Amino acid sequence: MANSNADRFEGDTIEILKRLSRRPIEPSPDKELMADLGFDSLQILELVGELEDHFNIAVPLNSLTHIRTVGQIVSEVRMLASAESETPP
Amino acid sequence: MNRRITIGDALTAAAGSPFGLRFIEHDGRTLHVPYAALMTEACGIAASLLDRGLSNGDRVALVIPEVSGFVHAFFGIVAAGLVPVPLCPPAQAGDIATFAKQSQHIIQASRASAVITTSDVASLLGDGRNDADAGALYRHPPTVLLDELQSDSPLPAPVLVSLDSTALLQFTSGSTALPKGVSLTHGNIAGNVEGILGPAGLDARDGDVAVSWLPLYHDMGLIGMLLSSLYAPADAVLMSPVLFLKRPSAWLDAISTYRGTVSFAPNFAYELCRRRVKSSQVESLDLSRWRVAGCGAEPIRPETLQQFAEYFAPAGFRSSSFLPSYGLAEHSLAVTFAHGGLHVDIVDAERLVRESRAVPVVNGSASVRVVRCGRGFPDHAIRIVDETFHDLPERHVGQILAAGPSVMQGYYEQPEATAATLRDGWLLTGDLGYMADGSLYVCGRTKDLIIRQGRKYYPPDIESSLADLQGVALSGVVVFAVNHVERPDQVVAVLETRAGGRAEEIEEAVRRRIRETAGLEIDRVVLTPPGTIPRTTSGKVRRSETRDRLEAGTLVR
Repeated sequence: MANSNADRFEGDTIEILKRLSRRPIEPSPDKELMADLGFDSLQILELVGELEDHFNIAVPLNSLTHIRTVGQIVSEVRMLASAESETPP
Repeated sequence: MNRRITIGDALTAAAGSPFGLRFIEHDGRTLHVPYAALMTEACGIAASLLDRGLSNGDRVALVIPEVSGFVHAFFGIVAAGLVPVPLCPPAQAGDIATFAKQSQHIIQASRASAVITTSDVASLLGDGRNDADAGALYRHPPTVLLDELQSDSPLPAPVLVSLDSTALLQFTSGSTALPKGVSLTHGNIAGNVEGILGPAGLDARDGDVAVSWLPLYHDMGLIGMLLSSLYAPADAVLMSPVLFLKRPSAWLDAISTYRGTVSFAPNFAYELCRRRVKSSQVESLDLSRWRVAGCGAEPIRPETLQQFAEYFAPAGFRSSSFLPSYGLAEHSLAVTFAHGGLHVDIVDAERLVRESRAVPVVNGSASVRVVRCGRGFPDHAIRIVDETFHDLPERHVGQILAAGPSVMQGYYEQPEATAATLRDGWLLTGDLGYMADGSLYVCGRTKDLIIRQGRKYYPPDIESSLADLQGVALSGVVVFAVNHVERPDQVVAVLETRAGGRAEEIEEAVRRRIRETAGLEIDRVVLTPPGTIPRTTSGKVRRSETRDRLEAGTLVR
């Protein structure tokens, strides 16, 4: 995978996180959404909705229960987006 | 029309109608299932459950995130003459450990004979063996995957049960301190549904289409939307709560697309739509058929509804559609409905607090706005009483009591909690309110309960999650909500800490732990020296006294 792509997933996800947060945050891959960034369960679903729209992906229901850190979200998004682009039209 | 029938009989009756359910899952997939097909499927699931040796009255827990799967399993359990115990699915329960723990407590408290779930969830549910709290007492019942519940010889019809038999155990939360299962008979549910559909309720009529994103493991979604539509019978569109929370516009899209006429939601849902649906999207919506926009399950903020009505007016939404309501699981669901849109009583704030009287405000005084919640149903009754259970006159604030066919049988196998809640046929709601011109106004709570976004949280659960917080030497902790009439509950934690730790670090650790375990953001952390929190002689913390003294400024001397 091209490096620019990896940067885009991480960069865009972090931008969306900052936009949705109710207070100033500095998201980095090791930060936990709830514990470190102060997201509640409602905001996490809002985030998932935003990511789905932005990257044109569909996050499976069971992924929601496993996502804790920013890094996990970025890799989930990356995986789903590349699976999407590999699907023949 | 006689609606005092069992859920199984209502399913049979609905199966003879042209109506049905449309499911919209979290990813937008839709599935239409006429009631006739739903009954056939349910009777297949029922046969398979009975083949597994389950018998009349056994409790069956169900934890299924998909809307369609939940509804099929629910009616399968009912058709078999068994008692469903709906559980909150993992995506909305907080972290996985909390989900597993809450589920195990409810499964245990309900003494469920089986758990119906999906393969994704089964692996998260755990078997309770590593749960120190449950310990050796916990025996996990067999887990059955919904996909496996098929039968070559489905029941010809739902098993006949009496109106007096238990229809549902509704756990009001996954409280680990005291999971309380509200036990409802078919007669309770039918009695409430009759009120909901009748002229004192939403006045059901031909062509009604219910649209709901509400969780089906809670009373408002399950009884208010799903079962009411079944008993009507009428078409209903049931959407995944996850889809709504991801994309609130999906709710309004469904009302627009499927010509929805009836939809209920807590206050926060109207707020979320106002905030997150873009104005460019409003124009493409048609909300003109939405004649009942119900609002309940948490305190109603007048501003929220007014702003919603203004914002969505270009889509044809009418503010006269608002139907504020009051209810609780112990009363099956609904107690009162307020017709005629949003009506606000503006009362003197000072006299409300000092005299417990709701006196219309005189020019200049500080005021509180209380939303009218309306009148009760036929065959039901409401009283407002003081602490000694004497009836209060109009505009005096006291505890709301309710009686009638909708009142629960009790908390399942909790005689003490039941005795404290049911007295001489009256349900002690724990909510505070007053009557004015025959209508009920709700303005607070007597119980230690936190309500956020329609969800209930129990302070003892949150307190126990803080007990083993590392690096914080706690000698006492109290968590409570400060109720406001016009604002969401403010959640406060008061901690007794020994000297040493840094205040900001302790505060952050507390916030972090509560977020992780309950998914709740608290508003205020108060650190106090040991011995500050008032206690009973047996050493139990006095929660409401702590709250009152903090508010009065006399907690720390």
